[in-house]
Parts: sequence; structure tokens; C-alpha cells
Amino acid sequence: MKKTIATILKEWILLKRDLGGIALLFLMPVMLIIVMALVQDAPFKDYQELKFDLLLVNNDKGRLSEDIIQGFKKSKNFNVVESVEGKLLNDSLLKLYLEKGDYPVGIVIPGGATAEVVNAANTLANELSQKLGLGGTVPAREARNTAYVRLYFNPVSKPTFRSSIAFAIDKYVTYSCSNLLVERLSKLSAMQGDTTAPSTNFDQLFQGIGVKEEMLHDNLQDKKLINSTQHNVPAWAIFGMFFIVIPIAGHMIREREDGSAVRIILIPNTRFMVSLGQILFYTLICMVQFWCMVAVGVWVLPLLGLSQLYLGANALALIPVSFAIGFAATAYGYFIGTVFKTINQALPLGAVSVVILSALGGLWVPVELLPSVMQRIAALSPMNWGLDAVNTITLRGGGTQQVLLPILYLVAMGLLLWLFSMLYEKARKVSVQ
Amino acid sequence: MSWAIELNHLKKQYKNAWAPALDGLSIRVKEKSITGLLGPNGAGKTTSINIICGLLQADEGTVQIFGNPISNTSSNIGHRIGVVPQQIALFGNLSAWENYQYIGTLYGLPNHQVKERATYLLERLGLIKHADKRVNRFSGGMKRRANIIASLLHNPELLILDEPTAGVDVQSRAMIHTFLHEYHQSGKTILYTSHHLDEAEELCEEVIILDEGKLIAHGSPAALIEATSGAAKLEDVFLSYTGRTVRD
Repeated sequence: MKKTIATILKEWILLKRDLGGIALLFLMPVMLIIVMALVQDAPFKDYQELKFDLLLVNNDKGRLSEDIIQGFKKSKNFNVVESVEGKLLNDSLLKLYLEKGDYPVGIVIPGGATAEVVNAANTLANELSQKLGLGGTVPAREARNTAYVRLYFNPVSKPTFRSSIAFAIDKYVTYSCSNLLVERLSKLSAMQGDTTAPSTNFDQLFQGIGVKEEMLHDNLQDKKLINSTQHNVPAWAIFGMFFIVIPIAGHMIREREDGSAVRIILIPNTRFMVSLGQILFYTLICMVQFWCMVAVGVWVLPLLGLSQLYLGANALALIPVSFAIGFAATAYGYFIGTVFKTINQALPLGAVSVVILSALGGLWVPVELLPSVMQRIAALSPMNWGLDAVNTITLRGGGTQQVLLPILYLVAMGLLLWLFSMLYEKARKVSVQ
Repeated sequence: MSWAIELNHLKKQYKNAWAPALDGLSIRVKEKSITGLLGPNGAGKTTSINIICGLLQADEGTVQIFGNPISNTSSNIGHRIGVVPQQIALFGNLSAWENYQYIGTLYGLPNHQVKERATYLLERLGLIKHADKRVNRFSGGMKRRANIIASLLHNPELLILDEPTAGVDVQSRAMIHTFLHEYHQSGKTILYTSHHLDEAEELCEEVIILDEGKLIAHGSPAALIEATSGAAKLEDVFLSYTGRTVRD
């Protein structure tokens, strides 16, 4: 064991003296986390926290347009804009601003839309009144079919954004129509002297019915979990941990080239203990890296106006997860440093492979947003195992038991790569020359 | 007579090589002797040393160190051998002290013993003032001496040196020679390869000349010079046996 501890100390001294290596291990992931979290903040806030300006031309000025405007105001995601630079919007101005890209979405509520809805409600109320034998009618005419609310988008708007706006308007129109229908029925009832007509308004009647999002676990209530911080901090921390392949592989090849590796080989019964020391040391460094990145997410990102990283109720379960990721990353670096002969071969290939594994593993874009084929491929990336384990703890309220499988995968991968590297190294031709 | 090293009918053929590196080589090195292993490039010197150290396995033949058959996992024998590789087998970003502390621990030596031994060797090889400097800031001669010290921390009975004075200045070379002479005097066996034949003539009790993986000549420098007609020094003997054709 003394040999292993001596190796850990030796690696520590060497790392301390390699400022470039330290920068690569710690500053690079910090920069990545900060930059990517800032860059992806807006896309992650789409449809959640961002407030959009919504151009509105209200040619209706009636109940329907009032309900639509109120609906958008209540949603808190939209700022209804009816005039720009002091000019009241009309159809052509609205299209002009959208084409210029100044605004994402515009709505034109046609004149007479409310009248059309009222007419429809009256027609329906009359039919119901007749069928129910209530008697009496409210004024109604033939439907004109000209009450379509027109929706215009900035051409670069995403399809999901377009459909969510369309759904929202549809909902407000339905609400307005239903409200009017209930009112007409009440009116008809009142005309018949029916004292049992609804005494409460539509909102009160239906306030207990609707859709409300709930979290899967009680301990996650009131947390805004899907955000840039929550995705980017673990993702780039894991990326940074796997980037340890560069210093490890470089270090191993340099030791072979400058002859110091031969010194170790010449000392009997030493190879395994030295290798164990190196693996333990770099795994420890990876864990320190991970927790530094977590600290950045908890304390630094909020200073930049980003959300604070939420670690979940079982944050301590992240310790074995960070160990497993660190061990897999270290063993991968060890493997690259063993099988490649020169730094010129190992470093570019090591770096590119980490980038590919990270892209496949859902580090750049959440796996849920990838096509189904890519999602299946993502399941093969060790970085995905790591990210999934972290997300299980932070987002899904899981503990150590729930992440045992990804931990097992990562440790098994690490052990296999390490074993293969040791055997490969043993078979390598070494000379005192 | 006890033998420190016995190589019997060693054969080694590298893949894709046009000729065997060792072709039935049999040599013996006396215990407590200082022996030069000489030969032109490609003669089989380094292959022999790699086999003795356990870094390489012969295709055929046997190796005995102090009468014990060697395998590349033979740790007991490994601890009795010190090898000074031709490369500077030290960690350049560590100081000499840090290197010796680490290497000494890997040899299983207690801290105080490493300290004592390293201090003695650093003093003897003129590096004590530079012990805290990083090895990659040493001159070529200092690196060579530091490299030798690392191989002597565990006080090996058999010291094998592969070109220990390659590229060093006259002063460093003299210091290394003096030290090796003293080490030999303390009852240790030294096997030494070099292209400096004057050095071998001055230092070695016996020389072994190899060529094309075979033993060409073996004896004391004086005896070999005497036995070779027209030879005045070891270099003449060497050229007489190996010819003047340049080897690559």
C-alpha cells in the first residue's frame, strides 16, 4: 500500500507543477459551464419563464377579444402590445414588424368576432331551449363563418412555439364561447322566470376543473428544475471529468518516452501498485472537479442571473456517482494512454472521442430532445450513464439505490478498460535503451 | 568459481528482423567482477541486458543470476539487480530528492534508509547541492549521475549499466568511473556496456565482445590485446574481431 500512497503523492506533486494541466482540468469545465449555461438559458426558458411581446390588432373590441387579451395577460408569458412607437397597430404594421423579426408573434382579431360568437351561442341556446321545452328565444341569425382569429409568426419561430400559441388562443376562444353560452342559457331561463338560474359566474363554476402540473416527488415541489443550470452543470462537469483523458494519456506517454516508465517496470512487484495509485489519484481529482463544478452551479451561476443548481434531497448520493464517473473517465484516459504510442496520436483521438461520446450521451442537448435512434445510441455512452445518475438524484428525487445500475455500468467499464490496459502494457516490448 | 550472470545458448529473433538478435549466445560474468559488454550496433548487447533484467524473454536458452534461473516475475532476483538504463529514467518534473524518495519507496525501503542512502550517493556523485532541483533542469552529465543514483538506492549486488557515460563531459565521466570503481571494490558485480573502448579498457577486469548475436571474444583487456597480433589497445582488438564495416 505504501507504493500506492507514494504514487498518489508523486502524481500530486507532478500535477501541482503542471499549471496547464490544472487549467485544463478545472478552468475549462468552469468556463464551459458558465458559457453554455448562459447561452442555453433562453432556449431552456422558452415557454417557461420568458415573457414574449405579442402584437395584437383588435378589430373586434368585444367580449371575445377581451377574453383572449385577459387570457394572455393571466399566463404571465406574454406582454400584449397593441401599439408600437405610439402608433396603433393594424394588419400591415403587424406583418411588417414580424417580418423585420422585432416580434415573435402577432394576432389579428377580426371585427365582429364577438358578434359571431354571440350569434352562435344564441343559436345553440335557442335549440337547447326548444328541446328542453323552456320556450322563449334570444336573437340569432345565420352563421357567417368569418370569426377566425388570425395568427402570424416571425418566420424563424420554432414549431413547438407556434403550436403552443395556437393552443393557447384556442383555449381562450373556447372559454369565451362556453362562457357566452352559459350566459345565454341563464338569460333564457330568466326570461321564463326560472329562479334556479345559475347565480355564480362561469369562472367560479369551473374553478376546480382544469389541468395542474404536479411533481413526481413531494421533495421536488415548487422547484423549477428544467433549466439551463440544471442541465449544463452536471453535463459539462462530466465532460470535464472525461477530459482528464488528455492529461492522463499525455502523462503516460511522456513517461514512456522519457524512460521513467522503464524505471517502474525494472522495480519488481511494483507495476500494479503504481497503476492503482495513478487510477486512485486521478479518480480523486475527477471527484474534486465534479464537486467544484457543483459549487459553481450552487454559488457562482446565481450571481450571473442564472438559476441555482438544485442537488435534490439526497445530495450525498452524488458522492458514489462522482466516484463512478471519475473512475470510468480515469480508466478511459489510462486506456488511451496505453494503447497509443505517441502524444500526437493519443491526444487528438482522446479529445475527439470525448466530444463524440458527450454529444451522443446527451451532454450538449438533453437526450429527451434527440431523435429516437439517437436516444438508443445515447444509452451506450458512459457519459449518459453518469448524467442519468446525476439527474436521477437531482431531478427525480432518487437516492443511491436508484442509481446503482449506472454506477455499476461505469465501474464495470472502468475495470474492464483498466484490466485491458494492464495486460496490454505487460505485453508491450520495453527496453532499457 | 561463482557466476553472477550465466547466459546459456540464448536465441532471440525479433519480428520482421532479417537476422536473429541473439544467435545461441552463451556468456558468463564472474561474481564481484567488473565486466564490459562490447559490440558494434546491433550486436545484441541491449537485447542481452533486456533479457537479464526480465524485460524481454528469450526464444530459447536459459538465464541464471547468482545461480538462480530468472523469469520476468522473479522478484527476489530483481531486488538484487540495479539497472541504469541508457535513457534518463527519472521523473523530470520531480527534484532529485523527490525521485529518490519515490523510487526508494517502490523498492520497499524505509524512509530513513532512503534518506541515508540517497544522501551518501548524492555526495559521492557530486549532486548534493542540486538535490532539490528538478531533474529536467540538470545538465546532461548531472542527469546521467542522477540516473545512476536511482539504480543504486537499494544497494544491488549486480549493477548493469547501459552506456552510462554517453554524451557526458570529461569531468562527469571521470566521476562516474571513480564511483563505479569504488562500488566494485565494495564487492559488487558490474556489467557495463559502452562504445568508449578506452573506458572499458581502463575500468573492466574482463570484456565480452559480441557481434551479430554471438560471442566473439572474452577475456581480460590485457590478454585480448596480447592475443591479437598488432593490437596496442582494446580498440584494435575490437576492430580486428568486428571489422571496419559501419553498422546501422
